[in-house]
Amino acid sequence: MNNDEFDKFLASALRRRAKASQSDQAAVDRVLKRLAGPLPRQHAPIWRWPTVLLDWQFAPAWPRMAALAACLAFGFAIGLTGLDRNIERGAGAGNLDAGALVFEPESLTGGRP
Amino acid sequence: MDDSDEALMARVARGDERAFRELARRHVPAMLGLARRILGNAADAEDVAQEAMLRVWTQAPRWQPLAALRTWLSRVVVNLCLDRKRKAAWVELEAAGEITDPAPLAGESTEAAEREQRLAAAIAELPARQRAAIVLSYTEGMSNAQVADILDTTVSAVETLLVRGKQNLRRALADVIDGE
Repeated sequence: MNNDEFDKFLASALRRRAKASQSDQAAVDRVLKRLAGPLPRQHAPIWRWPTVLLDWQFAPAWPRMAALAACLAFGFAIGLTGLDRNIERGAGAGNLDAGALVFEPESLTGGRP
Repeated sequence: MDDSDEALMARVARGDERAFRELARRHVPAMLGLARRILGNAADAEDVAQEAMLRVWTQAPRWQPLAALRTWLSRVVVNLCLDRKRKAAWVELEAAGEITDPAPLAGESTEAAEREQRLAAAIAELPARQRAAIVLSYTEGMSNAQVADILDTTVSAVETLLVRGKQNLRRALADVIDGE
């Protein structure tokens, strides 16, 4: 058997075996059945992060977004109504008269302290 | 609706499970056959086909359509097979009971059938990359450039793998070939 004949023998024998082994539908079904279960998490590329951050479709996380917004609003309200003033007053530093620290010239002589 | 592989991959990249299942139905039979021919082990081939399809799912958002999906998928399968070949022993297709359609051999002489079985055993003994090159080239009918792409090597390296693979096969089958 020369090289060409061996090539032909190899090609025909392998193709015949391939055809014979391809008809196993049961194995295909088994693999497809295994793939029908829950799928793992997909790997997102880094260049998609800006898109992810700009995506306002928080479909599965709306309750959490609502809780976050409520916390923000609550914090803002505390800042406006001044519920935190007592803490400053307790420390004593808030009662200082800042005007006393200003070195103004004498009204009559114009001298500086 | 466009149901080309690329369109389905775009949908898979957006997390569309239905598109993924359609891709699986389309490609699992071929990938299973390829894995089985390289590994020679039906159970491992099923695992490889499943793992390859799961990679399609997980890597879909990163996938760039630089090559045909089929080529990329073949590369994944071949690499998974080569990884497994380092760990597991080869089991002949006959031993695994996977030849379900003996009809093509039925009309031939038992001598030819025996020769093909010897060929299968000889292929089983080849180094993994030589076997992969032979299977992709002869069984899948791929060009040397496609095989090089899948094996992540050059065309000349594929030619070398094929020449050495055929030399090894000829040596292993010397008594059968020379007996003619």
